[in-house]
Amino acid sequence: MTTISARAERQIEWNSVRELTRSALWLAQRQVRNTLRVPAEFIPSIIFPLFFYIVQTSSLSKLAAFGHITNYKGFVLPVALLFAVTNEGAGQGMVQDIERGYFDKLLVTPASRVSIVLGAMGGNFARIAFQGLLVTVLAMAFGLHFATGLLGVVPMVLIGSLWGIAFSGIGIGVALRTGSGQATQGAQFFAFPLMLLTTTFAPRGFLSGWFDKAIAYNPVTYILEAMRAFSTKGWVFGDIAKGLIAVAILATITVSFALSSMRHRLR
Amino acid sequence: MGAIEVNGLRKAFPNGVEAVAGIDLSVEPGEIFGFLGPNGAGKSTTTRMLTTLLRPTSGSARVAGLDILKQSAQVRRVIGVALQDAGLDYLATGRELLEIQARLHGLSGRTVRARAEQMLDLVGLKDAGERRVGTYSGGMRRRLDLASALIHDPQILFLDEPTAGLDPASRQSIWDEVGRMNRERGITVFLTTQYLEEADRLADRIAIIDRGTIVAEGSPEELKAGLGSDIVTVGVPADQIERAEKGLAKLEGLKEIQVHAEGLTLFVQDGSGAVARVVRLLDTAKIDVGSVTVSSPTLDEVFLHLTGSRLEGQTEEVAP
Repeated sequence: MTTISARAERQIEWNSVRELTRSALWLAQRQVRNTLRVPAEFIPSIIFPLFFYIVQTSSLSKLAAFGHITNYKGFVLPVALLFAVTNEGAGQGMVQDIERGYFDKLLVTPASRVSIVLGAMGGNFARIAFQGLLVTVLAMAFGLHFATGLLGVVPMVLIGSLWGIAFSGIGIGVALRTGSGQATQGAQFFAFPLMLLTTTFAPRGFLSGWFDKAIAYNPVTYILEAMRAFSTKGWVFGDIAKGLIAVAILATITVSFALSSMRHRLR
Repeated sequence: MGAIEVNGLRKAFPNGVEAVAGIDLSVEPGEIFGFLGPNGAGKSTTTRMLTTLLRPTSGSARVAGLDILKQSAQVRRVIGVALQDAGLDYLATGRELLEIQARLHGLSGRTVRARAEQMLDLVGLKDAGERRVGTYSGGMRRRLDLASALIHDPQILFLDEPTAGLDPASRQSIWDEVGRMNRERGITVFLTTQYLEEADRLADRIAIIDRGTIVAEGSPEELKAGLGSDIVTVGVPADQIERAEKGLAKLEGLKEIQVHAEGLTLFVQDGSGAVARVVRLLDTAKIDVGSVTVSSPTLDEVFLHLTGSRLEGQTEEVAP
């Protein structure tokens, strides 16, 4: 009797997970479709990091050589990639859905509310992974050589995209909590300290004082180092593992914030 | 067991506004239940609680026998909802919108496509199915919203101001559709509205809500009969209203007198018999009578009698 009941419980749990995944995938697909229908919303997110990459590598390559950065293109690419995956309007799609009442339409379906949040994040993931890959391919066309070879491109873009998706949790959380486009745009403010208080422009050995101490506590530092491992060092698993742990910690915090914002909205 | 059972349902918002002040309701399976009230009366808030979009502060409710708090996901499987603002994705086509709604309700494969096709046909949007929703007119959006609420063949349909802001032709088309759903499929309909004609025409029973409290409940005929009187409306100049009120106080058969900006409304036992006496009394009091009309009570008069204000002509409710 107990065995049957336990099995039934497991079946119910499995069905819930399956339904949650299914709903999240449909919602992510919807978001990707909508993104493709308004190219003007994502094209700037590709142009800006490319522009940054070209300007940095053409103007500072010689200066970088003084700092013994031998593969400056590989050093800059992860930064351009992080800009590509961070400077997108996470949460704006959700604000639009809230303003147009479509969000309520989703909430009155049996789809789990978690799947609505994960669907929004999943849609962002597909979009930013595509942007990241495109920026990397174009950078390679401009002469970038990968230390890990072509095999390293996908995991590097993946780590960058995972950071992007974790960061989008902040925008989605603010969108759910406030329903305001302006407040959601304001959430991008968090990107500045995270992106600038790190090894964006110079390696750790060249930084000193409070700045050097601050970057040690910034998770983006480890994400950047992990991504640079692929482009400049090779398969340095220690760096890659630290980057993945940093992404996991950030994602846990931001997804929890987004989910708590969903609960807040339904109070 | 009722299709909807509500006991002491209350909602107070953090800003201190008590939108719903502990209401009791019962909606029978297969009936169209009209929930009538002015702006800010608590109609939309009640609907949002019953459709699991908002947590009640206290009280309880069961929809199709399911607790809205403990079994909220199951509740959402058996209800269809079209809210005040047609909630649509403007970048999707009509067909895509219906298909994703069907999928989120657990339908899959061919069933999704077949249901979307059927619903587009039902609401007369078959030819517009491949167009983006953003290009639809207001009436078409409402009809698509209704179709998306019906895509999974729900037992209970919640319609929150389904015809607000629509032209008469679109309004008529929605009314026809709702009536047909109810007759042919036996769907229970919970309809919030501030349009008296809509409630009078569609609803089997009506509850009138005012300031978060239900002030009357019954069929439109019962509510009108409940007044037990005819209505005599007297138009007098604004500066003579007070004197007219005093003069008419001694009218034989007078049940109630209400003063408004354009004159007075008298609730009397025999309207046609009272007209001559009304004119005589006003003449004696030297009042310049603009008009005297006699009518049977309408839902608006029922509303006026119960709440002291008229419902017609008010604008749409905005939930806090």
